[in-house]
Amino acid sequence: MLDVQNLIKTFRTEGDTVTAVDNVSFTVAGGEFASIVGKSGSGKSTLLALLGALDTPTSGHIIIGDDDIAQLRDRALIEYRRSRIGFVFQSYNLVPNLSALENVMLPMEYAGLNPTERRKRAKKLLDQVGISDDKQVRKPGRMSGGEQQRVSIARALANKPKLILADEPTGNLDSENGKMVFDLLHKLAKSEHTTILVVTHDLDIAGRTDRTFRLVDGKLQKKK
Amino acid sequence: MNLFSRGVRNAFRNTIRTSSIVIILALSIGLTIAMLAARQAVTDKIASVKSSVGTTISISPAGFRGFEGGGTALTSAQLAKAAATAHITKVTQMLNDRLSANNTSLQSAIEAGVLGQRFGSSSGTDTVPQLPADTNTSSSTDTTVTTRSFTPPVTVTGANDLTGTAAFGGSTAKITSGSSIDASSNEDIALVGKALAAKNNLSVGSTFTAYGATITVKGIFDTGTTVGNGGVIVPLATLQRLSSQAGSVTSAVVTVDSLDNLSSTTTAIKTALGSAADVTNSQDLADQTVQPLESVKNISLFSLVGALVAGAVIILLTMMMIVRERRREIGVMKAIGASNVTIMAQFIVEALTLTVLGLILGTLVGVAAASPVTKTLVTNSSSSQTQSFGGAPGGSLPSTARPAGGPGLRTFGHANSQTLGNITASVGGGTLALGVVAALCIAIIGSAVPSFLISKIKPAEAMRSE
Ligand SMILES: Nc1ncnc2c1ncn2[C@@H]1O[C@H](COP(=O)(O)OP(=O)(O)OP(=O)(O)O)[C@@H](O)[C@H]1O
Ligand SMILES: [Mg+2]
Repeated sequence: MLDVQNLIKTFRTEGDTVTAVDNVSFTVAGGEFASIVGKSGSGKSTLLALLGALDTPTSGHIIIGDDDIAQLRDRALIEYRRSRIGFVFQSYNLVPNLSALENVMLPMEYAGLNPTERRKRAKKLLDQVGISDDKQVRKPGRMSGGEQQRVSIARALANKPKLILADEPTGNLDSENGKMVFDLLHKLAKSEHTTILVVTHDLDIAGRTDRTFRLVDGKLQKKK
Repeated sequence: MNLFSRGVRNAFRNTIRTSSIVIILALSIGLTIAMLAARQAVTDKIASVKSSVGTTISISPAGFRGFEGGGTALTSAQLAKAAATAHITKVTQMLNDRLSANNTSLQSAIEAGVLGQRFGSSSGTDTVPQLPADTNTSSSTDTTVTTRSFTPPVTVTGANDLTGTAAFGGSTAKITSGSSIDASSNEDIALVGKALAAKNNLSVGSTFTAYGATITVKGIFDTGTTVGNGGVIVPLATLQRLSSQAGSVTSAVVTVDSLDNLSSTTTAIKTALGSAADVTNSQDLADQTVQPLESVKNISLFSLVGALVAGAVIILLTMMMIVRERRREIGVMKAIGASNVTIMAQFIVEALTLTVLGLILGTLVGVAAASPVTKTLVTNSSSSQTQSFGGAPGGSLPSTARPAGGPGLRTFGHANSQTLGNITASVGGGTLALGVVAALCIAIIGSAVPSFLISKIKPAEAMRSE
């Protein structure tokens, strides 16, 4: 499903070059629930950003289906971000002046879905992640962190992506809410046959995924 | 919920900022509209002044300064030479004189006023201060006159043609009773101004004395001006005879057949008369008169451009600030599949919302401000113009030929600013349309740079945690 080959990302800052992702290669099968662990600054977020086409690699290949994401340009990249992946961020990143429902509808609007369909699907997704009707019309500022992260998972699922990328989705949550969010992701991976790649600090969580990749200074150390 | 409504909604995310921006924009757009209206009003006024002054050429003796003296009167013979020039349809010759208590039974209809006392008592031609007839020179006990009292003299104009406005000092006169006189006659007949007639209880058929002759009132006229209505008009030959100035003319107004021939005819007359006369045509005078308006036109253009630029800069900076603030949000939108164009469009809608609010409020400001702003601009610049007239040698001002009571030169500037001050600006459809276009320009300029900034934001911006 996902085939990463010799992926390298270097940042150039004032003469200094940092190789955040250093020749990483791995594959993840469809429907697999995998985790990436590693110390702070080991390149986890950078790797995820490359996989999500939020940033372009210095070299290497990211093959999903028949496409090499590293070779895609402009419209194809937008299309890829829009409907082939779903991103979940550590700090939720919901649009603050839109309600939960409107936030979930946003990617569908970008994908050109008609308004009635959008609303119907957004409501269904929010129901699935356990956001009640009265909370669906609330703005993010008036929801708890756990609720916001569940809205953001619903948003990631909006255009039925085959791959979900989550960067420390439980990082800002207490253990109870963290567990709830994790279980939600786990359930999705199983029921929808969605591939999930989750970055986490929490070894407990990592231990419950199908597979764990460990990054050390940008290099991958396969565990197990 | 779509792009458009999100853009509009985003414009109100920070109400304090939105209100301040809208108010500043409203002032800038309001000023733009007011300046557009002012410019329109002034342009119209210039056109109307230029078309109303017609195609006339004023001739006065060289160095002549009205009743302040200077110059040697022209002669009918000289003018006949000038009149021989082509394209001339009419030559109105005039002789101006003043009647004071010792050579007429008429009393001036014009109160001396503070200025009259000041200027009149020191007037060069009026060496003997005139005491009002009713106050006898009873200062038998006093040897020195403590208060110098001054009564303005009555102006008498002799003209050989009364059909145009020339004999009436450029004003359009209405005969309110009686009938006009035959200007080519040599009889002791007169037209008197409304005010003078009232002051002296004159009606058609009444008589008064001047230069020892008895003159019959044939008609009463109204020019609409105080100075004009205080004058007497007699046939040119009559005045030349009575005042012993045979053949003398103090001013002449030549009417030319068309505007195209005005300047060539002016040159021809100048050549014919040589240094004996100052020759000015009506368009020169109109140019002088509208000169303050031309400067108002320029001021309004500069202010217009300034206001527009200010508005554009305000929107530009605001939108740049907003884009900076929402860097991360823009990154998120890109991360979830928004194209640059979609995001830009949303921000342009936001900028347009601010601009449209500014436009609505600004139109109110502009409509309210247009007339006062125009009036202030016109009054200020024409009064500064008056001062410069006052300081300049007034020989070239043909307005001295008007049947004016007071010091003609000094009233000119006043009359001038009065005419020009009588200007109203209104915000019409055309001005509003231009205002809308201006606002759109503001919004587009204000959105262009931020749009470029938006295109530069990477979706990875969404990953940054603060
Ligand atoms: N935009 C950037 N410019 C320059 N250097 C960067 C940039 N983004 C990341 N880096 C560097 O790349 C390295 C990896 O960063 P990254 O954010 O991927 O680490 P991480 O594993 O996600 O850490 P954390 O657990 O703290 O989130 C770090 O040394 C970081 O300083
Ligand atoms: Mg990270």
